[in-house]
Amino acid sequence: MIKLLIIALLIFCLSMLTLAQKSRKAFAYDYAIDDLPNGLRLVTVPTDYPNLVALYIVVQTGSRNEPEKGKSGYAHLFEHLMFRGSEHYTGQERDEVLKKAGADSNAYTTDDRTVYHEVFSNEDLDKILELEADRFQHLKYSPDGYKTETKAVLGEFNKNSANPEEKLFEVLRATAYQRHTYSHTTMGFIEDIEDMPNQYEYSWQFYNRYYRPEYTTIVLVGDVKRDDALAMTKKYFGAWKRGNYVPEIPKETEQIGPRENHVDWPSETLPLIYMSFRGPAYSDYNKDKAALDLLAPLAFGENSDLYQKLVLQEQKVEELSYSFDDHVDPELFYVSAKVKDLKDIDYVRQQILDTYKRFSSEVVPQAKLDFTRSRLRYEFALLMNSSEAIASSLANYIGLRRTPLTIDKLFALYDTITPNDIRGTAHRYFVDNHRTIVTLNTKKEVAK
Amino acid sequence: MTRTFFGSSGLIALLLFGIVFGNQIVESSATPMRLHNPMLLIDIADTNTVLLPNRSPLVSFRILFMTGSAFDPKGKEGVASLTAAMLAEGGSRLKTFAEITDAMYPMATSFQSQVDKEMTVFSGTTHIDNLDKYYSLIREMLLDPGFREDDFKRLKEEAINYLKNSLRGGNDEELGKEVLYTMIYPATHPYGHQNGGAVGALERMTLKDVRDFYQANYTQANLVIGLAGGYPEGFPKTLEADFTKLPKGKPTAAKFAFPRQTLGTKIEIVQRETRSSAISLGFPITVTRADKDWPALTIVASYFGQHRSSNSYLYQRLREARGLNYGDYAYIEYFPRGMFQFQPDPNLGRRQQIFQIWIRPVESQNGHFTLRAALFEYDKLVRDGMSKEAFESTREFLTKYANVLIATQDAQLGYALDSRYYHIPDFPTYMREQLAKLTLDDVNRVIKQYLKSDSMRIAIVTKDASGLRDAIINNKPSPITYNAPKPKEILDEDKIIEGYRINVKTGDVMIVPVDRVFE
Repeated sequence: MIKLLIIALLIFCLSMLTLAQKSRKAFAYDYAIDDLPNGLRLVTVPTDYPNLVALYIVVQTGSRNEPEKGKSGYAHLFEHLMFRGSEHYTGQERDEVLKKAGADSNAYTTDDRTVYHEVFSNEDLDKILELEADRFQHLKYSPDGYKTETKAVLGEFNKNSANPEEKLFEVLRATAYQRHTYSHTTMGFIEDIEDMPNQYEYSWQFYNRYYRPEYTTIVLVGDVKRDDALAMTKKYFGAWKRGNYVPEIPKETEQIGPRENHVDWPSETLPLIYMSFRGPAYSDYNKDKAALDLLAPLAFGENSDLYQKLVLQEQKVEELSYSFDDHVDPELFYVSAKVKDLKDIDYVRQQILDTYKRFSSEVVPQAKLDFTRSRLRYEFALLMNSSEAIASSLANYIGLRRTPLTIDKLFALYDTITPNDIRGTAHRYFVDNHRTIVTLNTKKEVAK
Repeated sequence: MTRTFFGSSGLIALLLFGIVFGNQIVESSATPMRLHNPMLLIDIADTNTVLLPNRSPLVSFRILFMTGSAFDPKGKEGVASLTAAMLAEGGSRLKTFAEITDAMYPMATSFQSQVDKEMTVFSGTTHIDNLDKYYSLIREMLLDPGFREDDFKRLKEEAINYLKNSLRGGNDEELGKEVLYTMIYPATHPYGHQNGGAVGALERMTLKDVRDFYQANYTQANLVIGLAGGYPEGFPKTLEADFTKLPKGKPTAAKFAFPRQTLGTKIEIVQRETRSSAISLGFPITVTRADKDWPALTIVASYFGQHRSSNSYLYQRLREARGLNYGDYAYIEYFPRGMFQFQPDPNLGRRQQIFQIWIRPVESQNGHFTLRAALFEYDKLVRDGMSKEAFESTREFLTKYANVLIATQDAQLGYALDSRYYHIPDFPTYMREQLAKLTLDDVNRVIKQYLKSDSMRIAIVTKDASGLRDAIINNKPSPITYNAPKPKEILDEDKIIEGYRINVKTGDVMIVPVDRVFE
């Protein structure tokens, strides 16, 4: 076999040593945190990946911050409006600057945060920070431009609506939550999206409340020096005025009985079932969330007994997965199954319920728990494969606690969880009164 | 002028490299002299190991086989995909898939397969702590497969469900894009079926078909090993030695005639219960990444419709100015799963590509107007070409953006494998050097040369298929209304677009019920 060594031009000279060699810190990079007097925070993480800088601007505002009736979806709408231009740069001028920088530029919104991100050559950092500062402090859009953008948001809803899983998630949220803003997805209720064109004035109110330095953290990862980053941040964001708005997010009422809902889907699909219980909010000191994080792959992951049985042995289920993301407020712990045949749906449902119960009463073997801890650690380490990937992983934690320190605290907390903690937590959370089950299958007229 | 493969800055890289990997550089310097030659590029097609050593604590594998769905035997459409799935998601001879999953679990590793027309790649990344364990698992999976009946039953069902339910019933955008490919490539062409296969052929498929495909295609002749990261020095040799276990074989051969299109526009409307209309249009081109005109055509596609970028022309006209949908893009290479990712996956190398415009779902009442608008803008591009300003800014963008595309070591490795396939130097160097040489005239020449409107193929997924068909064949006006006042320039243009003629014969607008697609 002839061998050839091809050398990449971008040689990684990573200073990071292996996890085993270095400390047990899950987030293995050095970083600096600088707070400006106006409340804006800058987190700088220099890496040895050359040339590129990843800029993530995290605003601690998501669909959670939409408690007013008829006003769901505005955090996400803003993710769009922020691209339409500002005082000193029209949308087009902004695009030109980013284009010259070869930037990959985009944004996303979740329940708890809105994140604006770009990756570009480090020589363009100053210009891009100037550009970002302008839209965060001096956004400008006309009533006509606003209305046009609301149509793009409707277009996004429409493209998502072809997917049965998106629909069922929407119904799960609306069924499980009755007061809290997690009752709507980040897209918002369709009737609110359709009403957006009439809400130009309200949109400014939303911007003035949340696009403020105290809600915002700038994360810079890559070929960047802290002192330079701080000087540029002060120069462009120093005059940004602090706000004073604190939203009143309604607390979810106590659920006093199990809930169910169903969706008839207009075209052929495999039946879906989502089974949820109310879970806790993110925490890096309270054990509940950490215990359930460890339980999730043990009980419902790909090497769990349930997965092996339903997917590999009996082959009644095509996909089985769980979801329990980190959230500011208490979030649902849910398991989803794509069932191959409608006649098996009750069986699958019972199997999932039995598994929830089993982990509420049985103690998991210590070895399995240790494997799971190892898995979570390596999972996180494997994410760190570029400056952008590091910034992107950080954004989640910055949105929750504004510091990478929370990652190390969380992983340290995982190390303290015992098999009994897991059983006890499952026992407290997986109770029938806090359960919501939703199903979806092809409506009768279409099913063959 | 003779240039080495490494280019000018490559020398610096080489020096840096020497510091880090002193021993290996000796090995490499024995071979790279074959790499001289700027435009014929590197003659490395007869080598089958691509290595990107670095000091990362992660090690990435890309084990590539030069085979794929283009080599599915007739009547066995889907066997390439199913074989790859059996290897990556089935057990080995010694371990069941459950046992493999168990072993992967504490390492948080996985092993994926991706099957395209001519390439099948298996990829995964492990932390160096777990390299030996991980490698021994994937070695068993690839070289000593279990081919168990229960894995086969599960994965075959999954393959059928993907076509029947996920594509037909859950993703209008991907459906439209895939239907476009089936319109361009006739069933007799090696590209003439979906990578996943066809429902009927999959239903008839047996485990023996999979074994036969594995025997014939998973050979040393088809193999390229890709490895990146902080692996130990002797590791690549171990891999090479292990993979000699595969039969020697001969390179997979097949005919790939250019898919000549009959003149005229053809439209396929897929009828499905859905809120909106997804539109894809395009035609085959003779340019691939191996071609000297590819960088120029890349500028055109990026300017007209850079994927997921608000910077492109089409996006500005359809979404920003009119709010018709979520986005509008253009491509000169296959880009599956574009709705889920910002950058294309590597190792989708093809010797034939199409030019494609992707219009994301629009409100159904605007479907006809938007199709016309896309054709209007496309015709304008072909007629007027690009301006000097647009050319220069797009060139600058792409020169830098090449680095973004290879930001991870896994992407670097994927691109290096593709560069080997297309016989070009490493991707960012190639792009930087080729783009620097281009002129506006080059770019406007390739527009005239390769973008032809006389055989456009259009796939639309919508609910009211017959209404749309009727409107299209009769060239009915499709006026548009907005929820906000628009500048005069847009309204004037709308007047032209609402009556913009689509020259299509009545018999060339077909309606296909969704359950007949990929049958």
